Amino acid sequence: MTNMDFSFLLEGYYIQIFLRGLGMTLLLAVMSVMLGTMLGIIPALMRLSKNKVFQLIATAYVELIRGTPILVQVLLIYSFFRMPVTLVFGIDLSSFIPGMLALLINSSAYVSEVIRGGINAVDKGQTEAAESLGMSKKQTMVKIIMPQAVKNILPALGNEFVTMIKETSIFMYLGIAELMYSAIIVRTSTYAVKESYVIAAVLYFLLTFPTSKLMAYFERRMKRADAR
Amino acid sequence: MQMLDNSIKIVELTKTFKDGTVAVDHVNLELKSGEVTVIIGPSGSGKSTLLRMLNLIETPTSGSVLYGEFDIMGKGFDIQKHRQNIGMVFQSFNLFPHLTVLDNLNVGQTTVLRRTTEAATEISRDLLKQVGLIEKEKNYPAQLSGGQKQRIAIARALSMHPSVMLFDEPTSALDPEMIGEVLNVMRTLAKAGMTMVVVTHEMGFAKEFGDHIIVMDQGKVIEEGRPEIIFEKPTNARTKEFLKRVIEKI
Repeated sequence: MTNMDFSFLLEGYYIQIFLRGLGMTLLLAVMSVMLGTMLGIIPALMRLSKNKVFQLIATAYVELIRGTPILVQVLLIYSFFRMPVTLVFGIDLSSFIPGMLALLINSSAYVSEVIRGGINAVDKGQTEAAESLGMSKKQTMVKIIMPQAVKNILPALGNEFVTMIKETSIFMYLGIAELMYSAIIVRTSTYAVKESYVIAAVLYFLLTFPTSKLMAYFERRMKRADAR
Repeated sequence: MQMLDNSIKIVELTKTFKDGTVAVDHVNLELKSGEVTVIIGPSGSGKSTLLRMLNLIETPTSGSVLYGEFDIMGKGFDIQKHRQNIGMVFQSFNLFPHLTVLDNLNVGQTTVLRRTTEAATEISRDLLKQVGLIEKEKNYPAQLSGGQKQRIAIARALSMHPSVMLFDEPTSALDPEMIGEVLNVMRTLAKAGMTMVVVTHEMGFAKEFGDHIIVMDQGKVIEEGRPEIIFEKPTNARTKEFLKRVIEKI
């Protein structure tokens, strides 16, 4: 193993590039999970409905997205959405918007399965009890099933968030200044190839590891609350 | 009001499950308003399935269920509204674990009957007193014993002021020492003249409070009548055999 030299970090400029990349990575991951969750509710409810056409459409959507690489999805959507370079807060929307769209569509497919699983895991007797009181399907869902399903869904959403932090690295291909792209900028100007990648890896890990631990902690707490 | 008459007429009611098992096989019955009907029979004889079809928690394959003159599977019949009138108590309680005891009793009233929380709470507290659990109103279901859970479940069903109560093996999931407290609540209801349909293995309750005993086996009603007839002079050989087995167990 050759020696590594991290002395370029003494220059605040490079640290700044990495930190900005880190911020962008976080923003992308948070947005994709949040928007993906909102979008994911639709195929989840469609798959749970009794309507066969809805089921088929939603299943096709989820399977197609889960069955193709995210890189292909991003590049495909990017090639369909051609828009002029528009800078907002130093972010080029012409690549940010299609990139974000690809990521949230991808996230929505995975999250919809999480939501569906969370709803299915609620005991069938709960629905029976609610309906025996005269509640409509919607009232049953909102008042009885969802509050219980959320406890199953939240921990899995945390995992999705961790996955998304890692997946955002493909934005490098679109020239969005997230963490991996920052590493490449630093690499190009310092020739510190290995060092740049090592720093990127460490920073990714510093984001994902505490997040998983935090999620595991909340999951344990929620389980304890259930055993009240 | 959709329902003026609480008598229930069951006509050729059949349930075939997806795997082909015939759980209930062309059953015909008449259950009178104000009576306690007790359905007994060996496990897997279709008692629970029959009961669950009375409020369409289970969808019949064929046949009909009439409350008074209304066919609950008829076109335009509002089953959701009708269910407010039919309380149901389950073997596994099915209390809402995310709600306090009080909210378990309030939720149906506030969402379905649109009662205010204050009005609902007043009714709920009254019922909690009746089942002897007023001091548990702030607790969650997981903090209660099985017997307490089932008393709460009965109170929850009563919170809608139903005119018919369905009980699906209400004491089968309970430890023996807790059966009594639940039966006591049911006894009070029976004395008050509530129309009740009870699936149970509690022969004591059936004998004492049943007005009409129905014996089921393999999806069919094999014998029915007054408890003194069914328990003292059953005519069907399979009824005799079933009763002998149950009484031996006691």
